[in-house]
Amino acid sequence: MKTGAYRAVFGMRAKMELQYRGAVLGGVVCQVFFGLILVSLYRALYRSRPQALPQETVVSYVWLQQAFFRMLLSSDNDLADKIRTGDIAYDLCRPVDMYWFYYARIMAQKLVGSLLRGVPMLAFALLLPKGWGLMPPASPAALLCAAASLAMGLMCVSAMENITMGITMRTLDPRGIQALLNLLMTLMAGNVLPLTLFPDAWQRVLFLLPWTQMLDAPIRLYTGVRETAAAAGVLGVQILWTAVLMLLGTELWKRNRKKLVLQGG
Amino acid sequence: MSYIEVRNLTKTFTVRKKKEKGRFFREKASVRALKDVSFDVEKGELVGYIGPNGAGKSTTVKILSGILTPDGGSVNVGGLVPWRDRKEHVRRVGVVFGQRTQLWWDVPIMDSFTLLKEIYRLRETDWKTRLDELVLRLDLEKLLSVPLRQMSLGQRMRAEVCGSLLHRPELLFLDEPTIGLDAVSKLALRDFLKEENRLNKTTVLLTTHDMEDVAALCSRVMVLGHGSKLFDGDLDELLSRYDTVRIITVRYDGDVSLPPLPEGCEVRREGDTLRVLYDPARVRTAELLALLQDAGAIRELTARMQDTDRLIAKMYQEMEL
Repeated sequence: MKTGAYRAVFGMRAKMELQYRGAVLGGVVCQVFFGLILVSLYRALYRSRPQALPQETVVSYVWLQQAFFRMLLSSDNDLADKIRTGDIAYDLCRPVDMYWFYYARIMAQKLVGSLLRGVPMLAFALLLPKGWGLMPPASPAALLCAAASLAMGLMCVSAMENITMGITMRTLDPRGIQALLNLLMTLMAGNVLPLTLFPDAWQRVLFLLPWTQMLDAPIRLYTGVRETAAAAGVLGVQILWTAVLMLLGTELWKRNRKKLVLQGG
Repeated sequence: MSYIEVRNLTKTFTVRKKKEKGRFFREKASVRALKDVSFDVEKGELVGYIGPNGAGKSTTVKILSGILTPDGGSVNVGGLVPWRDRKEHVRRVGVVFGQRTQLWWDVPIMDSFTLLKEIYRLRETDWKTRLDELVLRLDLEKLLSVPLRQMSLGQRMRAEVCGSLLHRPELLFLDEPTIGLDAVSKLALRDFLKEENRLNKTTVLLTTHDMEDVAALCSRVMVLGHGSKLFDGDLDELLSRYDTVRIITVRYDGDVSLPPLPEGCEVRREGDTLRVLYDPARVRTAELLALLQDAGAIRELTARMQDTDRLIAKMYQEMEL
């Protein structure tokens, strides 16, 4: 497969993301605010009833979740609008594979969108006093593993969102499925409550679900909750889920093409 | 063998009907968008494809451009089946949907053109030459660094057309390309399309409701109604079938009462202006003029044909569309 077109659409979507600087600023302010609220909440919790997990680990979990929030939520409204209005007709008559064309686009938006917000936020969180801010990685090796795992998480979450888009082609309105998946996503990926605070039995099940592969896995490696020695296993489950979601997605898009109806004349 | 061969094409869509009272499940109904449509188009032809809304025009275009798969029938475009050999086929095809946009809304159009270069895997030099040519011919020079969202509809349509032609398609589908454009933009676009057809031998299939577009561009026209082809041939021939009315508008000095006119004439009075509608096959124009002249001193007189939209409306009516 020649990748020029896919790389180009990736670049284009990334460039578009860079145009919305106001949104980036707004996002950072909003996420910092949420971060501080959540951190205060956990500090209060720890003061009254200390948990087994160190406080700075939970606080770091919160900051990393907030920093990469953009990566989790499905937010490429342009793409959903295209499907809703039928502008997708143009993309359908291009000599490209639709699944990967949109995959590249979704990934660019998630990557650039979350880096633009995440980097200044993490810098801010690192400067906060101990117990309030982000702790440094467990070890240099942990940082490397976490970075690899984050990259894999990005691929996994993009595959998940491309399935949402494939479903949108059938329901013609992204709101229902996006609302449902975003709810599942924020809960199961640990954005509402750090998964490390869930009961152990629950965690064992959650580990095997796709949502933990996206952001929870890299954060565990960063904070050292999962040792670097276990990194291969963590990455293995991530790769497995990414492959499964990609397979489901390509099959869905293939079927969509066969029974396609386009909106609006 | 013709360049485009369409044989017995059928396509049915399933739609869900509103439920009747007391029913929980919706009923499904099928709409036959195309029933048994066949035609040939030769290379370099400029064909108009008309019909009322919902006739199946867009469905045909979507099948020919490889987007939709038909239920039955066969299509061959230059040796390829659009939906089966999709990627290879669409490389030679350009599409302009007048009501949709292919260029990116928030970035300068030049970036969209660069993306198209990658999508069609064009060679840098080929792309550059073609882009320069199109930019010149479509007068886009000053707009290249402007985002699409800041453009007027006319500018946008020129940019869309440029985008659709960058990869030098040998077959071009135009779906209502002049919709919403002002007179100047319309004329410019028509001239451009005519030139493109002449210079590059591009085969063009034009779907439109604007009969002026068809008259200006196409010598051949196909009429589609209720999913079937109703006419295929010369535009003038089509019009002459329904073009049975002439209109004489006349204004006199002062009030005038007309003598009885021959049977088949219809007179409409609007203020001091009289409009006489007649069929020249039944009433001789010279005779009618003589009668009008005898009635009083004529200040002003014009004779004209019925406008094309009326003819088409009449045609659709007679075809029971």
